[in-house]
Amino acid sequence: MTPSPMSPLLEQFLSEAREFLQGIGQKLMQLEDSPGDPILLNELFRLLHTLKGNSGLFAFPEMTRVLHAGEDLLVQVRTGDIAFTQELADRLLDAMDFVGLLCDEIESGESADTPQAASHASQAVVLAEALRALMPINPAAGDISANPQSYSVGDEAATHDALISSLGSAHQPAGSRTAFVPLAEIPEAVRMEVFRQSQDGEPLHWVAFTPDAGCFFQGDDPFHAARQTPGVKWGRIVAREAFPALVDLDTYHCVLDFHLLSNASPQELAEHYRYVPDQVRIVAIDPLWLIIPFERSSGNSTECVIGGGLSPNTGADEFIADALPLLWAGDVAALKQNAQHLLVLSANDSWLASGLRWLLLLLDCIPDNHRALGLLIESLGSFTPPDWLAGISSRGQGHVGDSDTARILPEPAHSEPLNGSRPLCEQETVVLEQIFSVQRQILELEDRPAWQAGRLKAVARVLTNGFKAAGDVLAGNEVEAALENALADGESTPLLEWLDANKNRLTASSMPGAVSGPVARASTRSDSSTLREAGANADNAGLTDAPSQEHGLAPAPLDDGPKFGRRAEDIASPKSLKVDQVKIDRLMNLIGEMVVAKNALPYLAQRAENQFGNRELAREIKTQYSIINRISDEMQDSIMQVRMMAVSFVFQRFPRLARDISRKLGKKVQLVLEGEETAADKNIIEALADPLIHIVRNSLDHGLETPEVRAASGKPATGTLTIRALQEADRVLIEIIDDGKGIDPALMKRKAYEKGVIDEATLERISDHDAVNLIFAAGFSTAETISDLSGRGVGMDVVRSAVQKVNGTVQVESVVGKGTSVRISLPLSMAVTQVMIVESDGQLFGVPMDHVLETVRIPRSSVHTIKRSQTAVLRDRVVPLKALNTLLGLLAEPKANADDELAVLLVQANGEELGIVVDGFRETMGTIQKPLGGVLSGLSAYSGSALMGDGSVLMVLNVKEIV
Amino acid sequence: MPIEFKKQKAVLRGAVTVEEAEALLEWLQNKPAAKADLSACSHLHTANLQVLMAARPGISSWPKNTELRAWLETALKPALGGSLDGDDNSRS
Repeated sequence: MTPSPMSPLLEQFLSEAREFLQGIGQKLMQLEDSPGDPILLNELFRLLHTLKGNSGLFAFPEMTRVLHAGEDLLVQVRTGDIAFTQELADRLLDAMDFVGLLCDEIESGESADTPQAASHASQAVVLAEALRALMPINPAAGDISANPQSYSVGDEAATHDALISSLGSAHQPAGSRTAFVPLAEIPEAVRMEVFRQSQDGEPLHWVAFTPDAGCFFQGDDPFHAARQTPGVKWGRIVAREAFPALVDLDTYHCVLDFHLLSNASPQELAEHYRYVPDQVRIVAIDPLWLIIPFERSSGNSTECVIGGGLSPNTGADEFIADALPLLWAGDVAALKQNAQHLLVLSANDSWLASGLRWLLLLLDCIPDNHRALGLLIESLGSFTPPDWLAGISSRGQGHVGDSDTARILPEPAHSEPLNGSRPLCEQETVVLEQIFSVQRQILELEDRPAWQAGRLKAVARVLTNGFKAAGDVLAGNEVEAALENALADGESTPLLEWLDANKNRLTASSMPGAVSGPVARASTRSDSSTLREAGANADNAGLTDAPSQEHGLAPAPLDDGPKFGRRAEDIASPKSLKVDQVKIDRLMNLIGEMVVAKNALPYLAQRAENQFGNRELAREIKTQYSIINRISDEMQDSIMQVRMMAVSFVFQRFPRLARDISRKLGKKVQLVLEGEETAADKNIIEALADPLIHIVRNSLDHGLETPEVRAASGKPATGTLTIRALQEADRVLIEIIDDGKGIDPALMKRKAYEKGVIDEATLERISDHDAVNLIFAAGFSTAETISDLSGRGVGMDVVRSAVQKVNGTVQVESVVGKGTSVRISLPLSMAVTQVMIVESDGQLFGVPMDHVLETVRIPRSSVHTIKRSQTAVLRDRVVPLKALNTLLGLLAEPKANADDELAVLLVQANGEELGIVVDGFRETMGTIQKPLGGVLSGLSAYSGSALMGDGSVLMVLNVKEIV
Repeated sequence: MPIEFKKQKAVLRGAVTVEEAEALLEWLQNKPAAKADLSACSHLHTANLQVLMAARPGISSWPKNTELRAWLETALKPALGGSLDGDDNSRS
């Protein structure tokens, strides 16, 4: 599908969105370490809010829905209504990943009609619900969640409570929903057994699990989930709809519901179903409701008839007449006896028999609950099931029933004492709210004008007076204190924080129910324009963008600067340009051509002198050349600098990666990042990204042990993974060091031998260091199980070749039991390679100077032939010699010079020294080496080609490959 | 474990996975009088369960695993006779 052309607005949105998402992820992880930090929360909220507002400009309902839920959630976190928990962070991160996915799709131009779009819509709902589920009071649901059981209050419990009470709308108040809970359909024997067991005080819940129709595609097996539910006492499987004919049946379309009774705690149930909270309904059940006498009619009908009257009720009235006084007298034994007698006489299937069975059970279990027993006895005669909803507790005598707790009102959020003056009426509260929100906006302005102090004081005065009008004099003192802090810092933050923390103070001290939120928002629309005018007088032009953040609309014209409608971000550097990569690449190419072109001048000078005999001209050309040379070198350097990127670009992914993987594997790891500002060429950084991720995964997956294993060997339970970048001369060094279990050379040797990577002779001889480096061999993995993370044995060799492709090297060192370190060395910039030009068989080749050790001329006589190889002795070293012609498959023999000496280029390849015999040496020059393309790219003998000054093409040899 | 299809009986053993469902459906379509032997079955993916509930083959043996049996009986026990008195359904 061809992507539709993207408007500049959309492009900008997308690139900003990615920055926002990155920032949000970062803040979330920082908040995990310091959950209460208000500054981080504020920043997080702002990012999310702006992103949501921006997304509203376009037709991305799924994105906006999820972001909206996240924003609402964060509002409550900010005011302290909800604690910031890891669960919360997880859900927000999931939601942000989803948004990122949507952005990717938008960018690649997927239309809204693809089947994926439909799944996105439902996924958006799920994610949004998951976020909203964390909020304690769910105004959308409208009803009051009740906790019939009281749970101990503690930090842990608090989070759980938030979770449970948030299954909110699903966790119905006790009474009202029994109609929806078909307890009567549970077999009587089961109910009786469950009732009996429930007397030990454990909670009882009815769980209705309606899995999503497409859940199989997510790898779910709802039946398994149902069976695995903690505390399940009874369950059944129900088809949601009638099954079609077999030929039309879609096996992958889930149409089954699962109902079950469980005595697990609500926390356990919520935990078990935490991935599908919107597909599960959990209802607390009072065991009394299980008591439903029924009568089964004889014949073929399988329906149970509640309160039937099909069999004669012999002796029932008499029984009841006797039973009630016995009950009040507390004569359990006699009551039991009577019941048993009557039971024997009654038809098994009858209403009476069933009721009597229940009576006997109750007499065993709760003989003191006279009210319950009384109700049951009466029902024997009335043929209607006892009404347990009429406020009876099964745990006591005449206690207020659990169902009554359904009418608990929420605690008032604050209970500030009124300070004696009259409370504000609603209108006044509204106005005050508006004023305060404007103050807030003023405080949020990020410029630092000379009148900052005055501004702060003005805001403080407004706040003090406002609260005084509301009768809250104490607020004034607090404002005073905050103001002092603010003035001392020169920042508005203390005041802002105070204002945020006391947002609801106004409503609490005045009439309850004053709605501040939407009103404040509506008011800022009109105020933002005035603020903007005020701001326009400020020196800083960027100020004009500040207040329009509220809804992401940007009335500010686009020529205000490349960023619109946003406050200055704290992530990116303030004075930077966003430039298209394509433009930089073009600059790079141009300077490359310039370098080549300028290299033509020395040739020209030479020709002027030799061919045209004009020494004067030659000299002048050389002078000019040196000037142009200097300038173009500088230009090249500058452009290289533009392409330099800090490694933080790659490093910033690691905290999240480490967090996710370590959680998945149950390992504890502390990530230490050093040298993030170290910069290298963009291509190199990008080439690094995947290898680094692979190495980090390896360390986490195979290197670091689980906390138990670590503790057992005396290491701290939390492993440390250090990723360090530093610059050394013209190279960048990256180190990944873990303190895990290290690589065992013996194991490596054995595995390599088993896989045929090395032969037996090598197995004997290979050193430990080399054994460790065997991990770079293709197809090698010592992992016992292949996880989806790593272990497939295609990793490290890919890493090495990726690194080598950019002229880098990678080495591994390891000590068993102590840890492993991987060291990568990369050139600082890719572009300019120094090559030495050599001649052989009439052709010119280039050899990269990194490999050249020296050039020598060796008399032919000192070349020894050992077996079939030629060697020479150089400075007491034996150096093997190879003719370049042979290496390249050329038939000619190397030519000696007039003194019968051979020209030997001493090179270093694969850690060894080697002499390459050539016909002659030429000069060295700096070239922009381009890799071979097209059909030539398969030639491993050459690492690339370069343009010479005279326009010819120089083939640059890949020394490692040809020797 | 893959389902073993005999002449007129499908034997489900161990844990029957989602991939088996299509095959089971097809087989049951072609053999309307077939029965299912669940005695050695420890679990079956919901997809298979659905197929069985739609096709309603006779159950020649119920699972030995009592907990699984109880679940399955709520879905697969033939209508006649009724399971609501729960004589063999109580579970702790």
